[in-house]
Amino acid sequence: MVDTTKNTKLFTSYGVKTSKAITTEVAAKLISKAKRPLLVVGTGVLDPELLDRTVKIAKAKNIPIAATGSSMPGFVGKDVNAKYINLHQLGFYLTDPNWPGLDGSGNYDTIVLLGHKKYYINQVLSATKNFSDVRAISIDKNYIQNATMSFGNLSKADHIEALDEIIDLL
Amino acid sequence: MSKLTTGSFSIEDLESVQITINNIVGAAKEAAKEELGPMGPTPFPTTAAVRDWSFTLFDRYEPVYTPMCDQCCYCTFGPCNLEGNKRGACGLDMKGQTAREFFLRCITGCACHSAHGRHLLDHIINLFGEEMPINMGASNVIAPNIQLVTGRQPKTLGDLKPIMEYVEEELGQLLATIHAGQEGAAIDYDNKAMLAGILDHVGMEVSDIAQVTALGFPKSDPDAPLVEVGMGTLDATKPVIIAIGHNVAGVTYIMDYMEDNDLTDKLEIGGLCCTAFDMTRYKREDQKAPYAKIVGTISKELKVVRSGIPDVIVIDEQCVRADLVEEGQKLKIPVIASNEKVMYGLPDRTNDDVDAIVEDIKTGKIPGCVMLDYDKLGELVPRIAMEMAPLREGISAIPTDEEMTNLVAKCVACGECAIACPEELDIPDAIQLAKEGDYSALEYIHDLCVGCRRCEQVCNKDVPVLSVIEKAAQKAIAEEKGLVRAGRGQVSDAEIRAEGLNLVMGTTPGIVAIIGCSNYPAGSKDVYNIAEEFLNRNYIVAVSGCSAMDIGMYKDADGRTLYERFPGKFERGNILNTGSCVSNAHISGTAHKVAGIFAQRNLSGNLAEIADYTLNRVGAVGLAWGAYSQKAAAIGTGCNMFGIPAVLGPHSGKYRRALIAKTYDESKWKLYDSRNGSELAIPPSPEFLITTAETWQEACVIIAKNCIRVSDNNMGRSIKLTHWMELSEKYLGVMPEDWWKFVRHEADLPLSKREALLKILEAEHGWEIDWKKKKIISGPKIKFDVSAQPTNLKRLCKEA
Repeated sequence: MVDTTKNTKLFTSYGVKTSKAITTEVAAKLISKAKRPLLVVGTGVLDPELLDRTVKIAKAKNIPIAATGSSMPGFVGKDVNAKYINLHQLGFYLTDPNWPGLDGSGNYDTIVLLGHKKYYINQVLSATKNFSDVRAISIDKNYIQNATMSFGNLSKADHIEALDEIIDLL
Repeated sequence: MSKLTTGSFSIEDLESVQITINNIVGAAKEAAKEELGPMGPTPFPTTAAVRDWSFTLFDRYEPVYTPMCDQCCYCTFGPCNLEGNKRGACGLDMKGQTAREFFLRCITGCACHSAHGRHLLDHIINLFGEEMPINMGASNVIAPNIQLVTGRQPKTLGDLKPIMEYVEEELGQLLATIHAGQEGAAIDYDNKAMLAGILDHVGMEVSDIAQVTALGFPKSDPDAPLVEVGMGTLDATKPVIIAIGHNVAGVTYIMDYMEDNDLTDKLEIGGLCCTAFDMTRYKREDQKAPYAKIVGTISKELKVVRSGIPDVIVIDEQCVRADLVEEGQKLKIPVIASNEKVMYGLPDRTNDDVDAIVEDIKTGKIPGCVMLDYDKLGELVPRIAMEMAPLREGISAIPTDEEMTNLVAKCVACGECAIACPEELDIPDAIQLAKEGDYSALEYIHDLCVGCRRCEQVCNKDVPVLSVIEKAAQKAIAEEKGLVRAGRGQVSDAEIRAEGLNLVMGTTPGIVAIIGCSNYPAGSKDVYNIAEEFLNRNYIVAVSGCSAMDIGMYKDADGRTLYERFPGKFERGNILNTGSCVSNAHISGTAHKVAGIFAQRNLSGNLAEIADYTLNRVGAVGLAWGAYSQKAAAIGTGCNMFGIPAVLGPHSGKYRRALIAKTYDESKWKLYDSRNGSELAIPPSPEFLITTAETWQEACVIIAKNCIRVSDNNMGRSIKLTHWMELSEKYLGVMPEDWWKFVRHEADLPLSKREALLKILEAEHGWEIDWKKKKIISGPKIKFDVSAQPTNLKRLCKEA
């Protein structure tokens, strides 16, 4: 298995609280056990290898997708429940217990993050980290400090392999 | 007692005695009451005076805090861990601290523009006198921001002095509240940020009025000349002067010296950042093509230095890299500091003889100097360029072919540079490719790179990564040649009269104002792409500053830039460049002018009413796609207070505070009809006052949606929905989810899709349709009443 916990190096810090580095097993377990999960993806998922894994993860547990940035075209015709929403707006709404969610059924307890710019998602997650109880699990290529849990910094090959492991475990 | 006035007076019986009164404390405020006719409720507003309007905005557009750090390290009680919205030792919680940090950015930006304005104003008054009439072109409303905020309508340069004094006083009051133990509520810091924002626009307006009036800049001129832009435009065979910063005062003396001594074709002069723009406006009201060139943005500063092309760098203020002296020294490029704000530890040689300074620089005795005497500066800089050029021939930081091979061979692909890179560029992979002799990936990175050199500082093998990237991109750099229209200044009253109705009815689909710096998420072509998209769709595209430069760097298949393809008026399908950073005041001022000139609303001291008008009726959206500076935070926040929403690039989450509405909370989407005070349901647009987007494609969709306004007539709404839907399908692959919320009547629907959309409204939203007449019978939650007078302000309602 890919060691997704080994490199949690930061160039700059967001302060005292740092996300816990997790294995693919833990990530898969948390995703499986979530009551209201939301797969929050950035435009980076348009990379064909990443898009393939994103769709598989969504389908494995029928997880709705918040397609942020301009990632939405990747999901058209893919038979997944994907909707566009702006990431900053989503980050704010996640902190509101009264948000009806993308489907009208209420807010989410777990968000799973993939395909984001490191600096952008870290900034948006600084709101959920400080002002909500939502659990943020980053399965991205970069270590995301402001997530609740995150993979470490991975090579592209290791990252794809780790996502495949998660898909097998779901 | 009779009231004192300014001027010189003799006193009877006292021979040879004359008393001169230059200024009377509080005179400006008194005059505002006496001279200017109808006055709104908030002339010269303080923090408390703007609070009602701020809070009205915050009720719908809630502050969204995204802290940069869990900690507060501001006083000696700390550092305090505020994670999870804890309170620090002083009692301030995380939201309060984050709001304070955002406010600090706004006040810093405001101070920057205003101090720039103060310097320019004093300098120009010193040259031309207080009585010099303001000349912004053929308009009556010549200072819309000043008039709106302070109630004053300045006529002369001297009239601008009390305006600056007001801004400076408020800045002091606001700065005081940063101190520990002052403000405690986040929302009140947010209100203070809003005040700092509008003060910023006043400060910017003073700056540009002073220089447009006195320095021969184009005056509301849609045909201002085209200017060469890009690193490839510099003729390195001549001695090269590079000016960096924002305050053109000193550089005008260099240009005068060059002109007086027939040096304009013997020396090359180019600039980076907004000084460059103002160099090309200087003495160009006659539309003569400038000889000064615009090299580029702050992202190009280090790249230009490393190229070795400059023979001397003259710096003034703002957006000047802090390592220019150190970097210049390595390549024998002297740095001359011409403004007290940026002195960089250099010796102050203001009082010395020019010959002696030139000698000391030539012999390397000093790496540069401070020179605050502009007459000397004018002579010093060209002379240094001419002396240094032969001594510096061939000196550059760009590696030779052989050095390049050796440098890339040193890389062990440890990945440190990729972690350090603020743009998350895949430098290690690009260098591995370069090891095989393929420089294409490094060349590609060149435009995405912001030239910060964080990569070099973490490299374990001491590879000068930036120089390596620049080496790989030499061909691309040589071809970096574009054209940008020199700043035209204000939008004229006549242009507003011609376009106002189209804007308020929505038949001109919107104004897209592309402003700000170069910290783009994916290179400089983003802003060109956005501008082109909206110009092709007949929006008005207003630009300024660094974005205006970068837009001019790209060409169509026929080799034409957007400035050549589209005219420069305030009219649909036009691109108008107002000018440098401080010329942003003319963009916000345009919105005020629509309310004041087209709608005949009183501008003076009438902030809330005019901003309310703009928010509800003028489909303008700002875009600061590469915003990096505190000034950009202040500009955007001022726009918000004036009722103009702004979209920022993804880096701008780091400003820490957005204003975003809950589109799902229907209680927030109501206005009053001022005819009778009744409530009007409105569609959720604009759905934010300031937010971020990840990609330029997403930004296009957001901008189009948020140009929709409650006042759009059927045709206007139909046009705006058409563009929003088309852009959503083009860039997101789908129709927008919530388009139906904006439909009041079948005539609002885009004509080409009307029948298909009516079917969706019936099938998915339960609306009742008369299919014979193809009309909506029931369904819309919002109504269209052409006579409605929408407002957020209860006090404007008749019953009130």
